[in-house]
Amino acid sequence: MSSLPLSPTFKRILLEALILTVLAFTVGLSANYKLVMNAFTGKTVVAPIEQPVAKAPPTTTVVTQAFPDPIELDEIDELLSEGALLVDARNIDDYKAGHLKGAISLPLGKIDSMLASFSQQVAEDQTLILYCNGFGCPDSFDLGILLIEAGYQQVRVYEGGFPEWRDEGRPIEEGLQ
Amino acid sequence: MSLLLTVVYHLSRLTLAGVFLYAGYIKADDPVAFAGQVANYQILPYAWNFLVAATLPYLEVMCGVLLLLNKRVRPALLVLFVLNLIFMLLLSYTIARGLDIDCGCFNPDSESKTSPLMALWRDAGLLLLMISAWLLRYRQSLPEEGDAGE
Repeated sequence: MSSLPLSPTFKRILLEALILTVLAFTVGLSANYKLVMNAFTGKTVVAPIEQPVAKAPPTTTVVTQAFPDPIELDEIDELLSEGALLVDARNIDDYKAGHLKGAISLPLGKIDSMLASFSQQVAEDQTLILYCNGFGCPDSFDLGILLIEAGYQQVRVYEGGFPEWRDEGRPIEEGLQ
Repeated sequence: MSLLLTVVYHLSRLTLAGVFLYAGYIKADDPVAFAGQVANYQILPYAWNFLVAATLPYLEVMCGVLLLLNKRVRPALLVLFVLNLIFMLLLSYTIARGLDIDCGCFNPDSESKTSPLMALWRDAGLLLLMISAWLLRYRQSLPEEGDAGE
């Protein structure tokens, strides 16, 4: 842009721009230190809100991808009171050992064999709250993607999962429901 | 510098200041939502979306403040110019991949969506404003602290 890109003036501008960037980076990092640290250590309280990402129609077909929205613990009660269904994405042994009260089991590893019966029992407009073993556990998110692909429209992921629920003293059930 | 060019310079500067102060402030106010919009581009690893969301809005705000105050205008313009180029490259890449996402340029919680193509055109306009402000700043004789001799 400058007609004198290597002039002392431009070098000074460059240096000041660099300082400005570092300063903003420092301020931003200081203001959001916890958020960033949680993200890098896998303890993110709220995941990025992935919006449905649709492929623009290149020719005649439209490919649609969608991701489940995250939900926090304090939002769950409201959704449950409205009839949302808790879905445990962990394996069946973990489910039997203890799960969120009222949750049904739909292990990610068994989705191929269980999806048909799940679809028969649960309507596609049913709000689903999926969970697994807390932060860093991808099963609920992955299950959410599969359920959305299967036609479910209201799929949320509770990232705190079983550990956070238990640690908050929320009701737990054991065995198969 | 003529009065007309002085007016154009200040209009460009103040427009850019307003745009980036607004864009930076509302994104800094909700970094998690902004991280989600950065994640929509599907370019960065998961955690890095948060790092960008935590820092980028502050850079926009600081540049906006400098432009508003008419201080360190060219360093601020340089930063915004580079940022804008990166945005435009990202948007072009997004269009090339066929992703239909909100650009995430402004309000992360907004229901309205700005397509990558619309955002690209808007960024092109901002780029022109930056270039004009830069060139006019270079030519004009308005004193700026630290810019003596320009």
